[in-house]
Amino acid sequence: MSDAQNDRPPIAPVEALFDQRLSRQTLLRGAAGAMLGMSPLVAAACGGSSSSTTAQTSGGTPKRGGVLRVSFASAGTAETLSPLIAVTPIDQARIQNLYDPLIITNPDFSTSPGLALEWNANSDATVWEIKLRPDVTFHNGKDFTADDVIYSIQQMAKPSSYAVPFVSGINAKDIKKVDKLTLQVPLKSPDADLPSNFAQYNTWIFQNGETDFKHPVGTGPFVYESFVPGQQSVFKRNPNYWQSPKPYVDELKIIGITDNGARLNSLLSGQIDAMGMLPTAQAKAHQSTGDIVVLTGKSPQPIMFYMDVTKPPFDNNDVRMAMKLIVDRPAMIEGALNGFGSVGNDIVGKGLPFYDTSLPQRVQDIEQAKSLLKKAGQENLTVELQTSEIIPGFVESATLLAQQAKAAGVTINLKQVPANSYYNPSLLYLKMAFAETQWAITGMKFFYLQALAKDAPYNETHWNDASFNDLLVKAIGETDKTKAQDTWNQIQEIQYNQGGYIDWVAADWVDGLSTKVKGMTASGAGALGNMNFMDAYFE
Amino acid sequence: MTAVAERRGRVRERSPVLAFLGRRMAGAVVAIFVASLVIFLGTVVLPGDAASVVLGRNGTPEQVSALNHRLHLDKPASQEYADWISGLAHGDLGDSAVGLVQGEKHAPVWPLISSPVKNSLILALVTAIFMIPLSLFLGVVAAVNAGRPADHVISLGTLAGIALPEFVIGSLLVGVFFVGLGWLPPVALVPPGANPLDDPKKLVLPVLTLLLASLASGVRMVRAGMIEVLRTEYVQTARLNGLPERRVLARYAMRNALAPSIQVLAQNLQWLIGGIIITESVFAYPGLGTTLVTAVGNRDVTVVRDIALLIAIAYILINLVADLIVMLLVPKLREPA
Repeated sequence: MSDAQNDRPPIAPVEALFDQRLSRQTLLRGAAGAMLGMSPLVAAACGGSSSSTTAQTSGGTPKRGGVLRVSFASAGTAETLSPLIAVTPIDQARIQNLYDPLIITNPDFSTSPGLALEWNANSDATVWEIKLRPDVTFHNGKDFTADDVIYSIQQMAKPSSYAVPFVSGINAKDIKKVDKLTLQVPLKSPDADLPSNFAQYNTWIFQNGETDFKHPVGTGPFVYESFVPGQQSVFKRNPNYWQSPKPYVDELKIIGITDNGARLNSLLSGQIDAMGMLPTAQAKAHQSTGDIVVLTGKSPQPIMFYMDVTKPPFDNNDVRMAMKLIVDRPAMIEGALNGFGSVGNDIVGKGLPFYDTSLPQRVQDIEQAKSLLKKAGQENLTVELQTSEIIPGFVESATLLAQQAKAAGVTINLKQVPANSYYNPSLLYLKMAFAETQWAITGMKFFYLQALAKDAPYNETHWNDASFNDLLVKAIGETDKTKAQDTWNQIQEIQYNQGGYIDWVAADWVDGLSTKVKGMTASGAGALGNMNFMDAYFE
Repeated sequence: MTAVAERRGRVRERSPVLAFLGRRMAGAVVAIFVASLVIFLGTVVLPGDAASVVLGRNGTPEQVSALNHRLHLDKPASQEYADWISGLAHGDLGDSAVGLVQGEKHAPVWPLISSPVKNSLILALVTAIFMIPLSLFLGVVAAVNAGRPADHVISLGTLAGIALPEFVIGSLLVGVFFVGLGWLPPVALVPPGANPLDDPKKLVLPVLTLLLASLASGVRMVRAGMIEVLRTEYVQTARLNGLPERRVLARYAMRNALAPSIQVLAQNLQWLIGGIIITESVFAYPGLGTTLVTAVGNRDVTVVRDIALLIAIAYILINLVADLIVMLLVPKLREPA
């Protein structure tokens, strides 16, 4: 979903290119760094969006054979096949096809059993017993057992792993093997929804004893054949896959093409069959021509402005509320994302379990904003908004916000800063009073733990409230679904009324497919049908 | 006069070409040294580091500093520079910062960039093979037809080419030859290990882009040189003596017009190296340019430094060779100073 290539600034081309690359890179880091979680259930999944054709490319019975060639932006030599340190979409695509998750996230955020069949918690949700799927084999023929899961979780818990946020609540050393296919997982504090911790690709399962992932062995639909970081990987069909007859294609090639235009041209010329991150302008154009299939997934990923609630003038909630009321969300989605998104409501996680759907949709109200500013003594407010070309939509939405704010007498001065310092904690990140952010959020608790809890590592709004924190702990440990939802609603109402986030959109996944590829379904859970290439087949 | 100076003087008398070569070689070494300093300083001031880029928002300060230690980034810059240069002197390009960040014990740079180097060389050579004769041919045609329609077409055409950046030319060519006519592939994907020349069709648009973007200066220089030479008395005399025009052009005019053009063609070749960086990205061609761009994004300083220095060395070598050729072509320069 990047327009950047078409909007190259009129500066020296080499620099322009470098900037493009940087922004994309940082986006991937930023997004992936924040890709914290994934949770079952609920959701307005695919389809339904005003401007999207979306959804299924199926029809008829799947046929076997063929080579599926898929491209995402390259991350150069930083690309990896280790689930533990994978960060970019191209890494994700490879991980999700070599390995399997304990729990599968469906396009509508409902879940199905993956490598784990049953999850049973004790009464206060402090110990979970997990029963694993029998008769699963690794690519090298070895049986899949509890030892593999225990080893994987222990690797995830190491500080160098990106899976830490998902397993930090687990006493990894004390996980017990009950029998060949059963393990007991003790927690540090109650968690009533442990399965959702094992959906995101950093937590997918590899074999006991794996160290360097040079010849990775998983249980997934495709088997490692070759990999040149920054260029391409070749995986063969796993003939013994437990979801047989899937996968349908004989071979999966994942190719890194950084330039958005070149990636789209490769798809149009038939040199690849699918591409991740189709720029929204092109997506719109090709939706009408129909020469490729535009796959749009209704993702909960928010793009937000955020205000540091400890810094003036944003320490005054009237000012924060006024800023939330200034935004014309539908116009911003149209202007910044060509319509590829659904309106946000200043609480993140649209479509995810425990999202509060009872709060009224916030709409632009300039009069109310003006009176709040007057009350706060901040008429003719002037603030600085720091933006950066992290992903397409950042600078555009910032520009639109500045325009929309004029109606309420607020002057927003835009300051565009280098993409590479925007998410760098030693430079700008968490030091800006008013800025933009994007989260690849797929589970409520992960976002709240990472952004709003006590000691949250990415506390962008500098939110710090002891009673709020108690509510959060209670919500996460609550085993009764109704009570849990009640507590989550209280939490979200606080953010809705007082928080520092202006959440204007849940941005769609926008990707491209050749018309020859069938079987792929748009998913809210991830780009390009959540990269479920085992479903793809050629007519 | 000291003994050394005397001996040097004698070498110069005996073989001015060798003396010239020696001087230029020494100059080249100094230039490479200066370039390495500039490159090094450039990567030092580049904000951010591989550790924080690769770790992203996940990196704790402890992790970042541990990695910076492994990458020797906590050493003083002067020490880092000395390590880099002494490594290079032993043929060791160093370890990729990204590789080390990802926990590898060794991540030598050369295997990472050897196939991109090969691919870029192939692209540059194929382009040069067309560029040099084309520049000469078009320049001569334009000069002979100075002021006539052929001259205008050539001059305007090449000027338009140089006025547009490569990504615009590339997109236009893709528009015409892929979207419009459907004759040529719009990207030049080369699988790892494959030779780009196996499927020459892929190279057509990148090469054409580079040619269009680089022909103008060479053509104009050849044209100017030719026009000047064609006005000289010895060419007029040759013509008046009834020598065939072809012979006049080839034997009398070209050789003298060529000398200044060679410098310009050398500049064109050097410039080609820069153009390749952008053109490769536009056509997703897996060469040094795309590698450099991702390395900058990843803040893989070792890879960035090595590639930049390789490019600088290529620049300087082309210059050296051009000077030598000029020297051989123009006898006057061979006289002792």
